Amino acid sequence: MAQTLQWKGTVQAGETNMKHLKRSLLVGVAALAATLSGMAAASDIEQAMADSKNWASQAGDYANHRYSNLNQINASNVGQLQVAWTMSTGVLRGHEGSPLVIGDMMYIHTPFPNNVYAVNLKDQSYKWKYEPKQDAQVVPVMCCDTVNRGLAYADGKIFLQQADTTLVALDANNGKVVWTAKNGDPKIGETNTNAPHIFKDKVITGISGGEFGVRGRLIAYDLKTGNKVWTAWSTGPDNELLVDPAKTKTWTNGKMAPIGKDSSLKSWQGEQWKLGGGTTWGWYAYDPKLNLVYYGSGNPGTWNPAQRPGDNKWSMTIFARDLDTGMAKWVYQMTPHDEWDFDGVNEMLLIDVESKGKKVPAVVHFDRNGFGYTLNRDTGELLVAEKYDPMVNWATKVDMKTGRPIVDKKYSPQTTGPDVNVKDICPAALGSKDQQPASYDRKTGLILVPTNHVCMTYEPFQVEYTAGQPFVGATLTMFPTPGSHGGMGNFIAWDPAVGKIVWSKPERFSVWSGALTTAGDVAFYGTLEGYLKAVSTKDGKELWKFKTPSGIIGNVFTYQYDGKQYVGVYSGIGGWAGIGMAAGLTESTEGLGAVGGYKELAKYTTLGGSLFVFALPSR
Amino acid sequence: MLILAPLASGAGDEAKLYQVQEGTKVDAKTLMGWKTWRALACERCHGAAQEGLVGPSLVERLKTLSKEDFHTLMLNGRPEKGMPPFSSSAMVTQNWEGLYAYLKGRSDGAIQPGRLSPLE
Repeated sequence: MAQTLQWKGTVQAGETNMKHLKRSLLVGVAALAATLSGMAAASDIEQAMADSKNWASQAGDYANHRYSNLNQINASNVGQLQVAWTMSTGVLRGHEGSPLVIGDMMYIHTPFPNNVYAVNLKDQSYKWKYEPKQDAQVVPVMCCDTVNRGLAYADGKIFLQQADTTLVALDANNGKVVWTAKNGDPKIGETNTNAPHIFKDKVITGISGGEFGVRGRLIAYDLKTGNKVWTAWSTGPDNELLVDPAKTKTWTNGKMAPIGKDSSLKSWQGEQWKLGGGTTWGWYAYDPKLNLVYYGSGNPGTWNPAQRPGDNKWSMTIFARDLDTGMAKWVYQMTPHDEWDFDGVNEMLLIDVESKGKKVPAVVHFDRNGFGYTLNRDTGELLVAEKYDPMVNWATKVDMKTGRPIVDKKYSPQTTGPDVNVKDICPAALGSKDQQPASYDRKTGLILVPTNHVCMTYEPFQVEYTAGQPFVGATLTMFPTPGSHGGMGNFIAWDPAVGKIVWSKPERFSVWSGALTTAGDVAFYGTLEGYLKAVSTKDGKELWKFKTPSGIIGNVFTYQYDGKQYVGVYSGIGGWAGIGMAAGLTESTEGLGAVGGYKELAKYTTLGGSLFVFALPSR
Repeated sequence: MLILAPLASGAGDEAKLYQVQEGTKVDAKTLMGWKTWRALACERCHGAAQEGLVGPSLVERLKTLSKEDFHTLMLNGRPEKGMPPFSSSAMVTQNWEGLYAYLKGRSDGAIQPGRLSPLE
């Protein structure tokens, strides 16, 4: 009840118009009804996440902290960590995401064909298996490997977002299908790689296909029935964007101002918004007090910027949407008229930061474009936008008044036009960070960020759209950032209040795994060679490492069972960085440039598919 | 060395199908043909060097496929084999002759795979 009143207060402050009051009353009643019916379902996942022994959602919580209160494993004993148990996933190629642990059960997922296994923690025997039959024709329209970012749990159900876009709800007890929903059409290049997210009484999912001219959107399904509740498109008319031209705001000349009518349509030429991308395959967050869902949108379709004049809204944008209605409260476009494929889909961390002596409810985001952003997650005000890799060069800085990046024309493929190769742009298209999620250390207030340290050459060219065929239009090569330590990654600690790197640990390859921090003052991450590493949160000093059979692109997780703390991660190279190995590509410009960039990986690892779980030795 | 390739149809036509220097510099029409190849992402099925993938090798096919049959094929596709029609593609309808010239040059071994540039 209090939740609804708070929501009304936030949205309705200052409104006096009778029509608005009436409409808000109706929406308020609907929201109240939704809240009451959702409460039973919500408490199940919220309760599960609140228990530190579980790892009940992909990020451990609604806020994308990737933090655990468990401290049995700590900085002084982590050096003794050893393998507790292991399991093959039975599948090769990129293993992203992590398992879930609820009580005495672990739920494991795999890359395509997206098998799901319920495993008894007592003895690692299988309780049930779900092995979907998917059309293999889906694989060729997955640009960047056959990854799946994981399962979700709520209301006694396990949720899987299949590559072929089918969203499935399984009975957590026996693996039987409770409901399915078709979320897209692979024939027009639509697939899914994202994990579904459960917020209160809704399943939130997105869509992939930014390299196939797919039009992006975020979709909410009813947790119990699988009915579609709302669809929020990233480009197009206002009624499809789910925006209110007068109420949805964006950072404008130093303050929040309404986005106005046809904000997307006006920023595209003709009907190009229909191929306008803005896909939504990253990690989402939810603030239950504000009732807002936070996520980012991907590239604006073709990688040839000359072909799509305009700011291309709302690609590369951070959205804050009401969970019940999908209506956007505020938006912020990070890279208007993108020229580099700097998708805005990376995770949104919800953190309260000290800003100018006050505690501000903030959202922090490490964008592909190399800037670490901090915004007020209630109002959408821009607070911080600083480079989290000092070698980022495509923009000198972000103008804090307009919120727009100041582009350096030397690194602008739009400026030189199609069929001209632009050299030494930093970061490369895969960004200073791709989907690999950061972790918020609640004890220090710092964020531990797995980053890429890669630059590129970029040559755009004219493309034509054919449904189901790639719609890209750029040739890339990638290489380690020149004039630096020679490696392709750094694991950094970042202060989100001011936007500063506190410490930085270089790595030979991009740190493509999701980080984890714990109350034991330890941060974990995996490397592309296959090492799982533990470092001190204070200074990044390496405390322990173990080489798993294949490169790590999964997210490190932790749980406690029968009094013992465990840390685990999938081992299985792939993803965009590992696409050469995963898809058997050899030409350096293949894999959107990643094949050449990461060819050295072949010296250190090869394909695999397993889960490794570690613990301290038994006394 | 500039290679001039006569049409292979045996109709006694004196026109040159494509001009190429050093394997990678071609005449404007053939260059547009290559750009059309690139724009429609044909390498998806036919391979980056036209060597064949899920679709047949064009290096082989162009040895026997006539220009007229090529035109028909581009407009209608081969739906039963998975090749879509390209009749609605402006680039294909405008540049199909240059595309044929490019692919024939590849098939003849006179034009190298990969990036091309204009004649000097």
